[in-house]
Amino acid sequence: MTTTVQATAATGEVPRRNDLGWRGSSFATQVWVLTQRSLNTFLRDPRMLFFSLLQPLVMLLLFSQVFGGISQLGSMHQWGSYINYLLPSTLVTTAMTSAMSSGVGLLTEMSNGVIARFRSMPVSLFAVLLARSLSDTVRMAIQLVVMLIAAALLFGFTPAGGMLGVAAALLVSLVVGWGLGWLFLAIATWVKKAETMQAVAFLTMFPLMFGSSAYMPVSTMPGWVQVIANVNPLSYAIFASRGLATTIWEANPAYTLIASLAISGVIALVGGLIATRNFRRTN
Amino acid sequence: MTEVMIEARGVSKVFGSVTALDDVSISVPRGTVLGLLGHNGAGKTTLVNVLTTLLKPTSGSASVAGLDVVSHGDQVRGRIGLTGQFASVDENMSGFDNLVLIARLLGATKKQASGRADELLATFDLTEARDRPAKTYSGGMRRRLDLAASLVGRPDVIFLDEPTTGLDPLSRIGLWEIVEGLVGDGTTVLLTTQYLEEADRLADTITVLSKGKVVAAGTAAELKAGVGKRTVSVVLAEPEDAATALNALAKAGLHPVHDKARHSVATPVEKSTDLATVVRALDEVGVEVGELALTEPTLDDVYLAVNSEAPAA
Repeated sequence: MTTTVQATAATGEVPRRNDLGWRGSSFATQVWVLTQRSLNTFLRDPRMLFFSLLQPLVMLLLFSQVFGGISQLGSMHQWGSYINYLLPSTLVTTAMTSAMSSGVGLLTEMSNGVIARFRSMPVSLFAVLLARSLSDTVRMAIQLVVMLIAAALLFGFTPAGGMLGVAAALLVSLVVGWGLGWLFLAIATWVKKAETMQAVAFLTMFPLMFGSSAYMPVSTMPGWVQVIANVNPLSYAIFASRGLATTIWEANPAYTLIASLAISGVIALVGGLIATRNFRRTN
Repeated sequence: MTEVMIEARGVSKVFGSVTALDDVSISVPRGTVLGLLGHNGAGKTTLVNVLTTLLKPTSGSASVAGLDVVSHGDQVRGRIGLTGQFASVDENMSGFDNLVLIARLLGATKKQASGRADELLATFDLTEARDRPAKTYSGGMRRRLDLAASLVGRPDVIFLDEPTTGLDPLSRIGLWEIVEGLVGDGTTVLLTTQYLEEADRLADTITVLSKGKVVAAGTAAELKAGVGKRTVSVVLAEPEDAATALNALAKAGLHPVHDKARHSVATPVEKSTDLATVVRALDEVGVEVGELALTEPTLDDVYLAVNSEAPAA
């Protein structure tokens, strides 16, 4: 008798749990929540904030002092001081450095398990990438604005373009940085290791930075570097940024503007497609 | 008939030339725990990854809560909780913020999310560390936060991949109690472990994996019946007491053996009271004990038992 009763109890209906019924949020909510998260991580870490804002200032200080003699060059007189020549291009190169750290940031999260958590949740992985791209672009904007203020106050940056011209240069730099961000996100999802990422980033960034008109007029470079500088997409962004800020255009304004924005768009599209494909959940 | 919540039917997974899973089938009824037992590289994590939609099976099929993991991946992800081998939390965020983030991603409102986060922090004894960044947590706390994160949506099915690896004994027991609580609530659990003891304590049924194949399956009792018993070993303070000790233990109804190299005698035991029997028998004949240890059978014993039963191929 007892045995029968126990057997019935053991095979009885298991209580159904009260699932909360949360089956996932909308794409927009995912992007918003994840963007806020990345920004908070950045803003709440005072050391990270300090150094990421300090880095472009140190670059600016070094270049303006070490290369200050460039302003003696005949072709440089039109810009007044070297800082007016240097700062618009530093906006673009800083945007590129910032874009690179976007890829490193993604890799860090891929290795520390945060991404692994999202993968097992009803979360769009494209939302994860988009949120990173957005939050890093906001971070980039903060970096560039701080740099602009410091340049005006400490280095005597007084370009002919005025506030409006500088704001336009900032905007172009942000678009270029945003596009390059997708390139580095694509590289990050491809190499999957922070060390490899650093090496690839170094190989990408330095030729782009120095094989351009960022620090020296292209006309002063050896012939073969001139060829590179003229096909370097970064050169267009630098011409555009410098033209907008200083009103001195080294190439056709409409052409450089359209070229720099279009190249950024193409890089963002291709980078985004590759990153999303590599980032897929299953294989 | 009880609903099957986790099912794998002939699942294989091949990575290049490596077969990580070879025709694996499992079935876990609602409200029960399946222990997936195996060494590193046995295929446990690969199976968990297939069942949690992180990997596509090369062949075979799998479903969770009746939903196919390949064709209904997103729906499956909305119903499961996964705690991997490595804590998947954002180290720079506080425990509270981590849980709120997950709740918001699952579709909770801000208010619901913070309510649920505080509820979980209390359940997992993390209220005091609520606002501290997760990187300041101890290993055990981090593991609890990770488990809490998998439970935010109160899912019906939980996957725990080696949840106690690397934890100190006290944290391990704490985690076991949490899992037992979940099962009491009717959650279905798939747990992977390298420890027979852990599978024995938590699992209703155990599946043993070796090199991607299921080599044994059954209840803990069924598996243990084929495995060696627990062993009491006694290191003698005076090695010359060995003969006296062996005699005394044999008289007490045990089957001792002599390990000359370690100056010890060992005997298989069945009940925990047998430990007292050993001590009493040795004390009565005046044998001084140097060390005394009770050893549980291990996964290796299961493998040995399984291999000895397997037909010679």
